[in-house]
Amino acid sequence: MTATLTTRRAETTVGMGQIAVLTGDERASAVLGSCVGVAIFDEKKKLGALAHIVLPTSAGRPGTPGKFVDTAIVWMINELRSRGADPRKLTCKLTGGATMFATNGPFQIGQQNIDATRQTLAAANVRIVAEHLGGSKGRRITFECDAFKVVVESAGEPSVTL
Amino acid sequence: MTSNALTNVRTAWELIFAPAIENASSAMSAWTNGEVSLALDEVREVAVEEVAEALDLTDELSTMVMLAVGGAMGGQLILTFDRENACRLIGSLLNRDVELDQEWGELETSALQETGNILSSAYLNAITALTGRRFWPSPPLVTEDYAMSVVEQAVMTQALTEDRVLLCRTRFSRLGKRVEWNLIFVPSPELLQLLRDTAATL
Repeated sequence: MTATLTTRRAETTVGMGQIAVLTGDERASAVLGSCVGVAIFDEKKKLGALAHIVLPTSAGRPGTPGKFVDTAIVWMINELRSRGADPRKLTCKLTGGATMFATNGPFQIGQQNIDATRQTLAAANVRIVAEHLGGSKGRRITFECDAFKVVVESAGEPSVTL
Repeated sequence: MTSNALTNVRTAWELIFAPAIENASSAMSAWTNGEVSLALDEVREVAVEEVAEALDLTDELSTMVMLAVGGAMGGQLILTFDRENACRLIGSLLNRDVELDQEWGELETSALQETGNILSSAYLNAITALTGRRFWPSPPLVTEDYAMSVVEQAVMTQALTEDRVLLCRTRFSRLGKRVEWNLIFVPSPELLQLLRDTAATL
């Protein structure tokens, strides 16, 4: 399995199923609907990763690791560890998981993504320190690595900093 | 797959969607006194990860009219435009100026809802005629949100079972000039299969 890995200066756009690994003053952004944005961080090393995860489980399906909760979180932890992060010190900020169409479609996928993410993070002993989840609106998130800030913007609402 | 086979696949999809676009274009032209017309831009199957790029979606807010496909199978139709184009359309339909920063009332929202109704009814009537199965649009929902976030959930039905999703993109012209409107049709997996089966018979 190969990963979609983008490491750049300035602001990286993280598309569906992608993961960005960041250090220092790097930033990454994503637009989320029912997908979840998982930002994992090692404060001491100022090293983080942002995943834009699409579906709750791979169930053995092939695909980039960032597409599924189970594969994305394992990949992120391994990647951060390989870059010197201490897996016991990792913390997480969670966003997304909206339900935007109430009456048609796979309408609980946002909640399924949230549930699967919580379970997978708990199993990996990664503590969730902030979250902005659910609802019926899209979100634009920006992850600022050095301060471990996640700025959440939604239409018609003031932005929130996690 | 040979280039001939690829061309045949593309042509089959175009045969499926061209009547829908033509119907929708006639209806829009009548609704807007000949100002607005549509043409098929492209029909593509793309990886889920490439949807935003394929549709040229940015991370800016858009005005959208969202409709679900009613019937046994499902899907989504999403009409998107930036606020400037939305205001122009409303102004044209209501025959008065609509300022960019003006808050929309019931009348302005209704103009957009009715546009979505007319467009999607014509579109789905053509799909009904082609497939022999009945489809109709749900009541329209007008919203301002990130188009990518809405499309993301719309493609989720297909993404649950397939790694690639079918996207039908339409280009719009207003008074003969191309405008940044987008009609995005995302069929459910069941409707996609029906369209594939129908395409195979053409």
